[in-house]
Amino acid sequence: MKTKEYAILTDYLTKNYGDFTAVNNLNLKVDKGEIYGLLGPNGAGKTTLIKMLCSISTPTSGGARILGKKIPDGDIASKIGYMPQETGVYFGLTVDQNMKFYSRIFNLQGEKAEKRIAELLKFVDLEDWRYEMVDNLSGGMKHRVSLACTLIHEPDLLFLDEPTVGVDPELRVSFWDYFEQLRDNGVTILITTHYMDEARRCDRIGFMQRGRLIAEDKPLKLLEESGKDSLEDAFLAFARNEDTMRMEAV
Amino acid sequence: MKFYRIMAVSRRVFRGVVNDKRSLVLLFLAPILAMCVFGVAFSGDVENVNVIIINQDQGFTPPMGDTIYLADEIVNNLNTTTLSIHNMTSIDDARAEVESGQASAVIIFPEDFSENAILKSQDQSYPNSAEITIEGDDSIVNIKTAITTTVSTALSDTLTENGVTPAIQLNSDPIYGEDAEFIDFFVPGILAFVVYLLTTILTLITFVNERSSGTLERVLSSPVTEGELVMGYAITFGTFGVLQVALLLTIAILVFNIMVVGNVLLAFLAVAILAISCQALGILLSSLAKRAEQAIQFFPLVILPAFLLSGIFWPIQAIPEWIRPFSYLVPPTYAANACRAVMLKGWGLDKIWPDILALVIFALLFLGLAIWTLKRGKN
Ligand SMILES: Nc1ncnc2c1ncn2[C@@H]1O[C@H](COP(=O)(O)OP(=O)(O)O)[C@@H](O)[C@H]1O
Ligand SMILES: [Mg+2]
Repeated sequence: MKTKEYAILTDYLTKNYGDFTAVNNLNLKVDKGEIYGLLGPNGAGKTTLIKMLCSISTPTSGGARILGKKIPDGDIASKIGYMPQETGVYFGLTVDQNMKFYSRIFNLQGEKAEKRIAELLKFVDLEDWRYEMVDNLSGGMKHRVSLACTLIHEPDLLFLDEPTVGVDPELRVSFWDYFEQLRDNGVTILITTHYMDEARRCDRIGFMQRGRLIAEDKPLKLLEESGKDSLEDAFLAFARNEDTMRMEAV
Repeated sequence: MKFYRIMAVSRRVFRGVVNDKRSLVLLFLAPILAMCVFGVAFSGDVENVNVIIINQDQGFTPPMGDTIYLADEIVNNLNTTTLSIHNMTSIDDARAEVESGQASAVIIFPEDFSENAILKSQDQSYPNSAEITIEGDDSIVNIKTAITTTVSTALSDTLTENGVTPAIQLNSDPIYGEDAEFIDFFVPGILAFVVYLLTTILTLITFVNERSSGTLERVLSSPVTEGELVMGYAITFGTFGVLQVALLLTIAILVFNIMVVGNVLLAFLAVAILAISCQALGILLSSLAKRAEQAIQFFPLVILPAFLLSGIFWPIQAIPEWIRPFSYLVPPTYAANACRAVMLKGWGLDKIWPDILALVIFALLFLGLAIWTLKRGKN
C-alpha cells in the first residue's frame, strides 16, 4: 500500500535542552499545498520545531520526513526556504548584495537571477532601496528583504518564522495574498505568527504549548469547537483544558 | 562540496569587509600604524648615552721617546654616536651626576693607567695591571651593555693601533644577516602578529554577527554545508592576509629600508596559511560568544599568548625554558620564524618546510575543529 506523501510528517519529534523539553513527542502532518499556521505563546517551541524541520537542529529523538524524504537530506535543502525569526539577512550588505548572495548559493546566476531579484523586489516594494545598506532600513523593511531572500530559489516548502513582525498592515495583507497565490501553485507553507487576523487565513492551525500540539484544525472549526469568537480565546480555552487534563492525569 | 557555493560565501565575506570602513581601517591602516610606531620606537640602537670621563692618566714616558697617553687614545676611539662624552675631574661630582640621573656612567682612568699598561705588556711579571673602572647605572641593561661594548671596542682598537696584538681575538663574521638591524628582525615578526591578530578578531566578530543575525542558520538550512562555509571564509581571509603582508612589506621596504634577501612569495605563503588557521580559530571562538560585546572579552586571550610567546618582539631563546614549549603551540611562532628565515637568510622551501608543515597542520586542525563545532551546534 502506498502511503500518502505529506509535505511535513513528524514522528514523535523531540528536542531537549538539558533537562528542558522544548519540543515534546510531536506528531505533525502538513499536506502539500497547505498553509499551516503554528500558534502559541513565546517559548512554546515553534522556532525549535522549525529549526529541526530545516535540519539546522538535530532532534533528541524521533524524526521527520520532508517532502517524502527522511531528513537530513542534501536534496531537500534546496527545496525548502527558511525565513528565520532574527531576519537572517546581512546588515552590512546592501539589499542587492544580500539577494545576489542567496541566489548564488542556489547556483542561480546571471540573467535568471537578475530577473528573479527584480521580480521579488517589486513584490516586497523595495525597488527604490535596492542599493541601500540593510542596516539603514526599518525593521519592517528588513523583514521584507528577508522574505525576498527566502523566496529567491522558488522553494516548494516554506518555513516562515514570524515573517510579518513590524510589517505594516497594508503590506501584511499583500504578503498574505502572495502566500495564498503560492499555495495555489502548490507551495506548502508552515508559518508562525502572533497576528490573529492572519491566523484566520491559514488553511489549518496548530496550537502549541510547552512543546506539544494541543489542538489542530481549520480556524473556523477551532472557534466552533471551543465556542469562542476569537482564536486567542480559543487558544486559552484549549490550553486550560489541556492543563486540567494534565492535573487529572497526575 | 560545490565550488560555486564556497565562492559565493567567500565573495559575501569579502563584500562585508569591504563595505565596512572600520574593518578596512582595522585590516590595513592599523597594521601600518603599528609597524611604524613599533618600528621607530624599537629602532633598537642605543644612542647618545651620557657618560662622564675622569681621566687622571699621567702618561708614561719610555726611556727613549715621547710620553704616551693611552687613556686619551682610548677616549678618542670611543664611538661618539653611542656615547655622549663629558669630561670632569672630580670623581665625587661625577658620581653625583650619575646618582641624579644626568649621566649613565662614570668611566675612570687612574693616574698610573698608561704606566701599568705599558710595563705590564713589556713584562708579564710586572705586579700592577692597568684598570678602567666603569661606575654606572646598571638598571637599564641595554644601556649598560652599550657602554661596556663601546669601551671594550675602543680599548682593543687602541691596543691594535699601538702594535699590541691581544693573545686571543674574537672574530664575528656574519653568515646571515650582514648589516641586519633590529627592525629587520622585527618586521617579519610583526607581519605574522598583525595577520594572526586581525584575522582572528575580524572573523570572530563577523561570525558572532552571523550567529546572532540568523544568517548562519539560513545559510546552513540551504545546501551550503559547514565545510563549504568555513572554506569560503578561509579563502577570503587567506587573501586578506596576503594583501596585508604585501602592503606592510612594501612600506617596510620603502620607509624602513628593511632587508629582504629571500623570495617574498614564500613569506606570503606562510602568512596565507597562518591567516587560514586564524580565521578557523575565530570561528571556533565565536561559538563561545553570543554577542559581539562578549567576543571582545576574548581579545586578551587572543592577543597575549601570541604577543608573549611567538618570538615576535624578542627571540624564543629569550623565553624561559619551561615556558618555551608553549611557544610551539601558537601558530604565529612558525609564521614569524619562516618569514624571518626567508627575508633575513634567504632560505627556500627546502629549509623552511618544517615551519610551513607546522602551519599546515595547525590550519587543518583548526579548520576541522571549526567545522566540528558548527556541526555540534545543532545539538
Ligand atoms: N539553544 C537553546 N538552548 C537552551 N534552551 C533553548 C534553546 N533554544 C530554545 N530554547 C528554549 O526552548 C523553548 C522554546 O523556544 P522557541 O522554540 O524559541 O519558542 P517559540 O519560538 O515558540 O517562542 C524556550 O523556553 C527557549 O528558552
Ligand atoms: Mg520563536
